[in-house]
Amino acid sequence: MELRRYIGRRLVQIVVIFFVILTVLFLLFRLAPGDPVSRMVDPNLTPEDAALLIKEFGLDQPLWMQYLYYLKNFFTGHFGFSFHYGQPVVQIIGDRLPNTILLFTTSIILSALVGIFLGKIAAWHKGKKTDTCMTLGALVTHTIFLPWLALIMIWVFAYKLGWFPITGMISVEIWLDPKAGVWIKALDVLHHMTLPLATLFLIHFGSYLLIMRSSMLDTLKEDYILTGRAKGLPEKVIRDHHAAPNAALPVVTSVGLSLAFSINGGALTETVFTWPGIGRELVFAVSHNDYPLAQASFLLIAIVVLLSNLVVDILYAYLDPRIRY
Amino acid sequence: MALLVAENLSVGYQTQNGYLHAVEGVSFSLDAGKSLGFVGESGCGKTTLGMAVMRLMPSNGLIREGRILFDGEDLLKKTDEEMRQIRWQEISMIFQAAMNALNPVHRVIDQITEAIHTHTPSHNKDEAYEQVRVLFKFVGLPEDRMRDYPHQYSGGMKQRAIIAMALACKPKLIIADEPTTALDVIVQDQILEETKSLQREFGVSIIYISHDISVVADICHDIGVMYAGQLVEYGAREEVFDNPVHPYTKALLSSYPTLTGEKSKLMPIPGEAPNLINPPFGCRFSDRCTEARVSCRSNPPVWLEITPTHKVLCHQYGKHCGE
Amino acid sequence: MTVFNNDIGLSERFHWISRLLEGWSIYKKSFLGKIGLTLLAVFALMALCSSIPPLIDPMYQPMAGVDPEIFKATGPSTRHWLGTDFMGRDILSQLLTGARIAFMVGVSAAFMSVFLGTVIGMIAGYTGKFMDTFLMRLADMIMVMPALLVLLMLAALFGQLSIWFIVFFIALFRWPGVSRVIRAQTLSLKHRPFIEAARVAGASNLRIIFRHIMPNVLPLSFLYMTFQVTSAIIIEAALAFLGFGDPGTVSWGMMLQWVWKTGHMFKAPYWLLPPGICISLITLSFYMLGRAMDEVLDPRLRKEGETD
Repeated sequence: MELRRYIGRRLVQIVVIFFVILTVLFLLFRLAPGDPVSRMVDPNLTPEDAALLIKEFGLDQPLWMQYLYYLKNFFTGHFGFSFHYGQPVVQIIGDRLPNTILLFTTSIILSALVGIFLGKIAAWHKGKKTDTCMTLGALVTHTIFLPWLALIMIWVFAYKLGWFPITGMISVEIWLDPKAGVWIKALDVLHHMTLPLATLFLIHFGSYLLIMRSSMLDTLKEDYILTGRAKGLPEKVIRDHHAAPNAALPVVTSVGLSLAFSINGGALTETVFTWPGIGRELVFAVSHNDYPLAQASFLLIAIVVLLSNLVVDILYAYLDPRIRY
Repeated sequence: MALLVAENLSVGYQTQNGYLHAVEGVSFSLDAGKSLGFVGESGCGKTTLGMAVMRLMPSNGLIREGRILFDGEDLLKKTDEEMRQIRWQEISMIFQAAMNALNPVHRVIDQITEAIHTHTPSHNKDEAYEQVRVLFKFVGLPEDRMRDYPHQYSGGMKQRAIIAMALACKPKLIIADEPTTALDVIVQDQILEETKSLQREFGVSIIYISHDISVVADICHDIGVMYAGQLVEYGAREEVFDNPVHPYTKALLSSYPTLTGEKSKLMPIPGEAPNLINPPFGCRFSDRCTEARVSCRSNPPVWLEITPTHKVLCHQYGKHCGE
Repeated sequence: MTVFNNDIGLSERFHWISRLLEGWSIYKKSFLGKIGLTLLAVFALMALCSSIPPLIDPMYQPMAGVDPEIFKATGPSTRHWLGTDFMGRDILSQLLTGARIAFMVGVSAAFMSVFLGTVIGMIAGYTGKFMDTFLMRLADMIMVMPALLVLLMLAALFGQLSIWFIVFFIALFRWPGVSRVIRAQTLSLKHRPFIEAARVAGASNLRIIFRHIMPNVLPLSFLYMTFQVTSAIIIEAALAFLGFGDPGTVSWGMMLQWVWKTGHMFKAPYWLLPPGICISLITLSFYMLGRAMDEVLDPRLRKEGETD
């Protein structure tokens, strides 16, 4: 099956890319100025503990041996101990990962769907007020500086109006309450997620709208659209059933291409809203020189981006019959 | 009564440089079960004519004058909704370069049943499928390919699928615009044969648009020769083909090789078609006409009857009708 | 059509000028283009004026100039038109300097990335085979990486990053996008008759690339430069916002970092709003510029009546 071979090939590519990243990171950590040992071993540890860690990570061995240790540790999940939290790094990032995935995936799906829907309408009403408003709106919103928008959102909706909490993902009281059911907890998370989600959504939906609009305008010139009109199909059917599915394909591609950019935005949003995700953890780790945590967070983010790329590619292949068959 | 009658039809496009007179003063009539061919070089307005009948003009298109009577009713007076119902159900179309006429993301069968469902919603899924099966058999497409996507078809298969689709709602009239131009000659021939048998079996009227007069003469009962937006000669196949009167028609015929008859030199027609934004006042062919006189350029030609079924738009043949 | 270069000389030189003028007349018609250009002119003016306040009074030094009478954030006044930050430094002079930094970062990074991207794209497209595959795989790998986060890691390892280091690395991350487009363009040009003719005439690959292909891809490069400027400015601003920018430069991102980290974001809108508005507006104006230029370069996008 064509599709399976295609997915297989992409998977191999991703694994290769990841290995390159892994290796480059390894080299950077060893070759950057400063003592590489202090990067893996907390300087505040006792000499005995430090010696143990050095043994475990093979930091006294030659470079190529260190690389092997490094790979082995990666695959067994030994990322060391966070200098700051004192816990195993893998535990920390394991905790954070679902939070990032929740926020990131929801925001992308929401902005893509809304962007496609509005872009379709804007193209259909090209030149009229609806279109001009939507295009200008998209243009303005997607050039706003993300962290700044986040700050404004907090200032207006959390501080001034008090509708939403200022920080965090959960209200501790609710989650500690033994009587609180799943629904209450879920609603609480949703409540906290609204502002960061709204910020990410506002920034991203504009570009999808513009791409869909331009793609739709191109699609409407195609012969099969004329055929649809000749067949006497109602206008809405032509727009939604014939034009939009074709026009949406480039938008899917663009989601994939902008994933790296989106995750930048994700990390910034998490930081400003204190959303406990891996993006924020990375920023935090870097500011506190918590090298093991920083390294592991970065690698995990890289995996997330690569896998998201794969998911988008598979989605595209599934949606376009020309690739599937 | 004639199925389709066009009276003094004028159609054009509003462009940046002005109004383009694509079709000017065209009149013709087509009986049920017969076929009419329009021949001419590219830009002569024959495609515009076809689109105008179905009222599929683009947003800058304008039907300025005339009437199009289908089954006695003027199509130009119909509302958009009425027109939508007429399209495909009564009149369907096979487009030029139909390679992209099928939507790549939907299965071929779904695109055909869609037309059926739109116009006869009473048909359930199975009935529609059965209809498609019959159509496929008729156009010579294998049944097991019905559920394929368009990109899996070859060019010839796509063309056949388009023809099947055009027949789906059993229309009274099909407008075929250069349906075989993009295909190789063998497939072209097959499709032409199928078109002829299509007419015999279904009794559908056909308007066949082509630049190739030999093809048109093969299939059509009547021929209309178009030049620069005007109909310059119109008559039964035998009359126009065997006894061409208009200098353009004569030139067209002599620019095609024939298998029989004397071996003569192929004569291309020198010069270019006139600009249709500011068309010449006199005869539009006069610049390239070998038999033109001074009066041809200064006076617009009028229709002259050669026989009751054969007429020509030219100054020169007054002697043929005794005036 | 002549292939021999010496014949073209003078007319080619004039042709270039007339094409520029023609492009300008088309550009002028674009509503977005005019607004974009106006906004950019305002920012350019700001950047130019950035050196004026310190000349008036050392109190207006963006980084070090502290008002001897003010020790906290204050609102707009006659002495400080936009108010002061938490240390008593004038916000307006910081804003003006930020404009200068934005242009510097944006244009340098864009120029570098476009230069790299164009050269690599042309080589990949024209040479083909192994070189092409290698370069494009490299481009793929780099495109997958989130630039901001990699810069964060570099900041972790190398300490405080200088502004030129940041500019250089931004360019290093952005060239793949440009190279893909240039490569596609090169591929379509590769088989055109005039290239074939040059090859037959014995021109070396290098000469063909730089003498014949480059002039034809250059307009596209310029177009992409405008998009590269915006992403460079945003990346630098985001980096500074997180606290990893060059500590010696005052950029708009840096200003936002200060207002955020010193807890003034709710209390000092006169401090919070201007830098963010500036970053957003300069991004918007470069984007508009890019769109208008797109219309100039791609005739199909122009708002003309469509003929059938």
